[in-house]
Amino acid sequence: MTTPAAPPDTRREPPETGDERAMLEGFLDFHRETLRWKCAGLTDEQLRAYSVPSSALTLLGLARHITEVERWWFLPFLGEEPEPVYFTDEKPNDDFDALDTVPPAEVFDRWAVEVERIRTAVAPIGLDAEFVRRGKTFSLRWAYLHMIEEYARHNGHADLIREGVDGVTGE
Amino acid sequence: MTAPPDRRRFPPEIAGERATLQGYLDYHRDTLMWKCAGLTPDQLRARPLPTTNLSLLGLVRHLADVERGWFRRRVAGEDAPPIFYTEAEPDLDIDPPADADPEADLAVWRSEVAACDRAVAGRDLDDTFVSRTDTLSLRWLYGHMIEEYARHNGHADLIREAIDGATGE
Repeated sequence: MTTPAAPPDTRREPPETGDERAMLEGFLDFHRETLRWKCAGLTDEQLRAYSVPSSALTLLGLARHITEVERWWFLPFLGEEPEPVYFTDEKPNDDFDALDTVPPAEVFDRWAVEVERIRTAVAPIGLDAEFVRRGKTFSLRWAYLHMIEEYARHNGHADLIREGVDGVTGE
Repeated sequence: MTAPPDRRRFPPEIAGERATLQGYLDYHRDTLMWKCAGLTPDQLRARPLPTTNLSLLGLVRHLADVERGWFRRRVAGEDAPPIFYTEAEPDLDIDPPADADPEADLAVWRSEVAACDRAVAGRDLDDTFVSRTDTLSLRWLYGHMIEEYARHNGHADLIREAIDGATGE
């Protein structure tokens, strides 16, 4: 089998020097775009494929999950309660697993809309801003870094899932 | 299969920039060790996934040289040449030879982590250094090391799951 070429890479690299805010936003945007890049150019069937035999993860499941995670950690800083989109209290893993409930194109559109709204709304909030959940206080600084490592870790999963789907690799 | 005991250090929820960055880096260093915990040398060397030749041992060796290359060689200007790879064989870190010794390589990783923390302890996040033609800040490097570890820990998640079924975020 010939390995197809990777999809065009239009990702923006994080700034190499700059202040704390620019660095955090730059790395987060880079990983948001990396996950999108890992999902690019595939059919619905490929997006739903369990290509790593020992794992229940799929690219579509990652896109659904990360949409929830964006809402979960950023909406409290906007004074909003993050209602789940793809899972329920009874089925808390349905964001990863219930892949037939929403067409993939809608999943990717929804994710882009959420990210755009969050980027704009969070930008003017100071990194020392806090919110309390279940008795624990979190800073926006913590949340940005958590989102960077959350995306980066899932992009590690996406690397191997994509390689299993069509052989495409790329850092 | 249950995961090994989790003794990782977690990043502080409320802290300044430097402490938060260091906390996330340490958390991911600890996560890599957690993913390697409780396995035999053969399991650490195993390449259990059908479409990639990545192994846990390869990731440990790779990250030891990544730490050393950035923090010690480029930032601190130390004479610290690569340990696991050469110019002629640039993938020997992540693609270990069959006779690689996991115990020895893990010891190298631990010693590099300690030396790297020492190398940057007195430096400011705004301090810059040059890598090839780029001028980079220590702040950028902390961000990069966190994403580098986190991404490889995503690889480690799937490798470990394929070895013995152990999972865990």
